[in-house]
Amino acid sequence: MKRIIFLFFLAFEFSADLVLEITESAIKPIKIAILEKNSNSFKGQEIINVISNDLKRTGEFRVLGIDELLSIPMNEDEVIQRDWLLLDVDSIIFIEVLDEDNALDVAYSIFDVSYNEIEDKRKVLGLPDSLRQSSHYVSDGIYEYFYGIEGISSTKLMYVTRNADTHKLIISDADGFNEEVLLKSNNSIISPAWSTDAKEIAYVSFENNRAQVFTQNLATGQRSLILSSKSSVSSPAWSPNNKDLAFTSTKDGNSEIYTINLKSKKITRLTENLAIDTEPAWSPDGRKIIFTSDRSGSPQIYEIDVRSKLKRRLTTEGNYNARASYLDKSEIIFVHRSNSDFNIAKLDLSSRNLEVLTSTKNDESPCIAPNGNVIIYSTKEGNLSYLAGVNISSKVSFKLPALYGELKEPAWSPFLR
Amino acid sequence: MKNILISLFSIFIIFACSSTPVEKVDVQETRTVDLTDSSKQDDKVLMSDLDLGEAYVTVLFDYDDDTLREESLEELFAVSSLMKANSSYTLLVEGHADERGTREYNLALSERRAKAVEDFLTATGVSSFNIEVVGYGEEMPVDNSSNETAWSKNRRAELFLNK
Repeated sequence: MKRIIFLFFLAFEFSADLVLEITESAIKPIKIAILEKNSNSFKGQEIINVISNDLKRTGEFRVLGIDELLSIPMNEDEVIQRDWLLLDVDSIIFIEVLDEDNALDVAYSIFDVSYNEIEDKRKVLGLPDSLRQSSHYVSDGIYEYFYGIEGISSTKLMYVTRNADTHKLIISDADGFNEEVLLKSNNSIISPAWSTDAKEIAYVSFENNRAQVFTQNLATGQRSLILSSKSSVSSPAWSPNNKDLAFTSTKDGNSEIYTINLKSKKITRLTENLAIDTEPAWSPDGRKIIFTSDRSGSPQIYEIDVRSKLKRRLTTEGNYNARASYLDKSEIIFVHRSNSDFNIAKLDLSSRNLEVLTSTKNDESPCIAPNGNVIIYSTKEGNLSYLAGVNISSKVSFKLPALYGELKEPAWSPFLR
Repeated sequence: MKNILISLFSIFIIFACSSTPVEKVDVQETRTVDLTDSSKQDDKVLMSDLDLGEAYVTVLFDYDDDTLREESLEELFAVSSLMKANSSYTLLVEGHADERGTREYNLALSERRAKAVEDFLTATGVSSFNIEVVGYGEEMPVDNSSNETAWSKNRRAELFLNK
């Protein structure tokens, strides 16, 4: 009995990886089957498993299981077209594991059932321990083939967990596997942000009993305080060219938006008024910054031109709009309060059309996947906070439930290639 | 304790000469920084670094608001008199917010609540040199529940006297 409890405890300790669940699927997902070409190897099955899960998780694919098939071809020449048309399958993906010199390369081809021929062939060169990553890469290739949008299975997520007094800043694969702790602290960590080249991160740490912004090199763990001040410094955001960091500080008396050139350390002040100005986010071209300000009496989103410092108000609907980021140059997403709920909303900057994207209640910290099509955010149910997401084009929604006390502050990596 | 985690991390593409696109997976390391068993790097120069025990006075605020309530003024006048009578006393004002809304906005709001207390005290004649303000946003709730009772307790400024 004791042994069983011990094993259970071990399992709990070490299987901390997050598991993503689809809460709402696409109306008409693409039907496919994934088969290993000319073989039935253990590695092949593992790879097919990872790819199937990646594609299922998008909510935009229906991946048939072996027991659902009418015939199992070993390669494209053995495909009996009628069997697949009967099942209404769009394509068969053939996977080939090229395990020479222990390198684990994966070749794959996409066989279109209605044309009865191979439409696309690609190859991923792997490394000895890269089974999951190589598989994610195949998933992204397949996703792009069908939807014309780059897949995000090979990207990373960064987030903060809190368990009693232990706060951890963590990165994992986009599917929640392979968690790596970047920072472990007894104090709060908020607002993590990726550098544009994904080599560094910035975040707010309360380790010195006030909000301070640090940057940290992922490979070396080397940290630097971006601005030494007795006042709070927070809300870091890397510029698209990776040269500047926008941030908020109360160093001049009340919270204002600044930028700092990371090389010259030159600081530029962008806002100047008695209201709260915070949560800066760069436009894709780096020319503008959107931010939250309560200068009108309630928090609303404003946009400032970095050079001319001309400002304009973007949100007018509702009495709470905050933490905005650009979806693209003409659309923004942010936290929007409707009635008593806080949701994630999208605003079209030209039509001024506002669309509420989420139906959970206490939604925070929205961030966009690098393909611009998936939003992840943190939400809370009872005392449990977890991450949830929504696909903009397919409306598929998913969640990453917390295995910890709290799971919050998600930040999606750039493309890592 | 050294924690080096090897991760297969950045991936780049190599286009081969053939018509089949080829992509290559690469390796990058990440390193864990553990602050939990190291002592503070900063010198304890600020009051917020000191353990000042229980809050001397706590004042509460309304939702998304930093206006001092009338009911708080009596206690704040008492703090003001005490500090004016003892010029060596210093005061730390910690501002807090409830969990609703965004963390960064709440950080700014909480600091402004602490500042409202400071402004009141300096207006009544306390030297601003003897007051330090710090905002903790929604990071340190007194009640972790998600209801109005908890939220009203969490929207607060705590005053710590350093005698």
